[in-house]
Amino acid sequence: MHADLAVQTTGLTRDFGSFRAVDGIDLIVPAGSLYGFLGPNGAGKSTTIKCLTGLIRPTAGSIAILGTDPLIDPVSVKRRIGVVPEDLALFERLTAQETLSFVAQVHGIDAATARHRSADLLDVMELKAAGTTLVTDFSHGMRKKLSLAAALLPAPKLLFLDEPFEGIDAVASRQIKDLLLSFVARGGTIFLTSHILEIVERLSTHIGVIANGKMVAQGRIEELRAGGGGGKSLEELFIGLVGGDAKSYAGLDWI
Amino acid sequence: MLKILRAFAWLRWRMLLNSLEKAGGRDTLERFSLAIEKIGPIMAAVLMVPSGLMLAAGGAASGYALARGDQQPLLFEAARYLLFAVPIFGIVGPLFMPAADRTNPVRLLLLPIPRSTLYVAQTSAAFGDLWVLVMLPFVLFVPIGLIAGGAFAAAVVALIASVLLVVVVIGISSIATSLLHLAVRDRRRGELLALLFIVIIPAASMLPGLLHGSRQRARIEGRAEAREPVHIPSWVATTGDWAIAAYPTELYVASTRAAARLDVPAAGARLAALAATGLCLHAFGMFVFARVLASPGSTGARRAVPMRAAWGRTVPGLSPGASAVALAQIRLALRTPRGRAILLSPVMMIGVFAVVMRRQIGGMDFGPLALNSGVSLAAFGSFVSLLSILPIAMNQFAVDKAGLTLALLSPLTDGEYLAGKAVGNGLIAAVPALLCVLVSFVLSPGGSPALWGAIPLALLATYFLVAPAAAVFSALFPRVVDLNSIGRGSNAHGLAGLLGLIAFVASAAPSVLIMLVVSKWLGRPSLLPVLLVVWCAIAYTIGRILFHPARKIFARRRENLAMIR
Repeated sequence: MHADLAVQTTGLTRDFGSFRAVDGIDLIVPAGSLYGFLGPNGAGKSTTIKCLTGLIRPTAGSIAILGTDPLIDPVSVKRRIGVVPEDLALFERLTAQETLSFVAQVHGIDAATARHRSADLLDVMELKAAGTTLVTDFSHGMRKKLSLAAALLPAPKLLFLDEPFEGIDAVASRQIKDLLLSFVARGGTIFLTSHILEIVERLSTHIGVIANGKMVAQGRIEELRAGGGGGKSLEELFIGLVGGDAKSYAGLDWI
Repeated sequence: MLKILRAFAWLRWRMLLNSLEKAGGRDTLERFSLAIEKIGPIMAAVLMVPSGLMLAAGGAASGYALARGDQQPLLFEAARYLLFAVPIFGIVGPLFMPAADRTNPVRLLLLPIPRSTLYVAQTSAAFGDLWVLVMLPFVLFVPIGLIAGGAFAAAVVALIASVLLVVVVIGISSIATSLLHLAVRDRRRGELLALLFIVIIPAASMLPGLLHGSRQRARIEGRAEAREPVHIPSWVATTGDWAIAAYPTELYVASTRAAARLDVPAAGARLAALAATGLCLHAFGMFVFARVLASPGSTGARRAVPMRAAWGRTVPGLSPGASAVALAQIRLALRTPRGRAILLSPVMMIGVFAVVMRRQIGGMDFGPLALNSGVSLAAFGSFVSLLSILPIAMNQFAVDKAGLTLALLSPLTDGEYLAGKAVGNGLIAAVPALLCVLVSFVLSPGGSPALWGAIPLALLATYFLVAPAAAVFSALFPRVVDLNSIGRGSNAHGLAGLLGLIAFVASAAPSVLIMLVVSKWLGRPSLLPVLLVVWCAIAYTIGRILFHPARKIFARRRENLAMIR
């Protein structure tokens, strides 16, 4: 295990019955990087995140998160990571402040620090007015922001974000982008999946592309561009890598 | 219009088949768990066939008897009482089915379908309701029996009456469904409604039975308190008779009977009344349905919760993480209709009994169980409190929905998580249990102090043993539930509920046995607290030991729990 790698997997594989969702991928996520993990729908991105965060066990392969195997010492790993999962992982019947209080308590953060950090995060996420509102009454965007606040509250070293910009308005999206960049600037690492390639292109230092459960490309974004002939946009590079060539729509004249 | 109705029929049929076919289990246990959940509906469908045949035969026999001049055939009389319940089920049934069971009509507005067709399509869904399916074979076979008996004109009238009755019943169901949709649009109103139906109505409905039972017992014992029968004023009786005569199923019965005895004016009047009822119901149904379509998806102000409790509050004796889990569990119970029902039901029940006890010296009978003192009332109420947490305790992980993922992503050990859940559930049960003891003590403070002290100890010992079982069953048989819904939608998995009940009875048995042996047979109630403290210590030790396999089972099922949706 490399000391300056935030995430490293070797032959990470996950089967669901006879279906192989993740097929022997070797991830290399340098510490301090913003790693964009891309792939078409159903490629295995969320399954990979679930394996990395300890929600599901891999069928084969090894994982090191911040130098620790999450299968051997999951609690130690979870103390140092923050996660915004696919389903946003929020208690419907807690308020925003209670959610953050829950996170603070399970991370062993004292009440004063928790109160201070929560106030800051709710302010940044523009959720201050909704602090005492039940999550069940939140819009999707508000839930996403609260989930991100909950992930940031314990001041993790590594953030896993599954589609953090989906369903977020332009203003909030800008705020979140700035927040993530400042997190990385202070030495944090982010592993994010997103379908919005422009955002990934603008934010990421590294990208990995997965298709049909297999890793098809990985590295610094400039290196990948150079390898693909240079000058290509991330979208062109991505489509080229996952095999989504332009289709003929001649048969769809009736549309 | 027919094409659209056919498309809707196909849609419902496909949804039914898909719900039965697509098990989606990730391993054998999960497939078994899902299959168990489907056994109920499949068994009901299988049982419907012979039941339907029997009802059809009963209908034909009734029709034949009517045609042969018997105006009150036994089968027809029996069916009359069963039919009486059908419109009531039409009103109550939709309330006890999760709202999602019936397709939300608002989303169908995007389709190019006229609203009247949409109303017919939605209303036709009531043909799949159990009470309609039970009614149909009987009412449709009465005309066949009449034909067999040679009463052809009566058969035509009976057929028209049958069709009109079905139209009326589905009209009632349609109105009830639309009103429910309107009520639950406002989440707070929906929750209040759910609470009303879970707690207040069942508790209030017990009162007449209890009062009647107590009066009857007093009468049998020849007590002076036995009261004279109440004389109903004549105008009330007349109005009641008139209302019953105008009741849809009574109109159906009366028109069929009148037709069989060739009383054309009487039959015609009843048919006209039935038709008018149907017309009015569907006119009102259309109006309410239009309101449903015109109203937004959900309304209701956002709820703010006072913030004083969020920071720094912990449950003594638990780690901060376990304490956070326990508090989240308590908040879940306090903020959902099903959870509030757990807290309120036993207290409401004790309130009902209190009313009865105040009216009646000497207590009440519940079959084999007699409540004749404050102690027995307290014991009964507090054990009911413990029992009432089963829907949440036996599904303690899945009730959190997405919150479960947050817990699983948190740096909590399995032990901390299970301890937090166990303490949270215990505190949820403790509040109503203690209230029951207090109310009982205030009402009837007599009895040995040792007996009063024994109740909390017995409860504690029972809970120490139930808690690990609840963790195991919740991990093995999780079920996605909606604690806002009234009926089955908020229950734990059927098998978890059943096993939980068995575990509860088995866990309570030693405490109850100790209480009975020491207080009744040995006549030494003063020994009870000491013996129950010892039993509590033993139960605690056993519970701690049982939590080891519970933790292992939870660890093995973590992944399935994380993916349950």
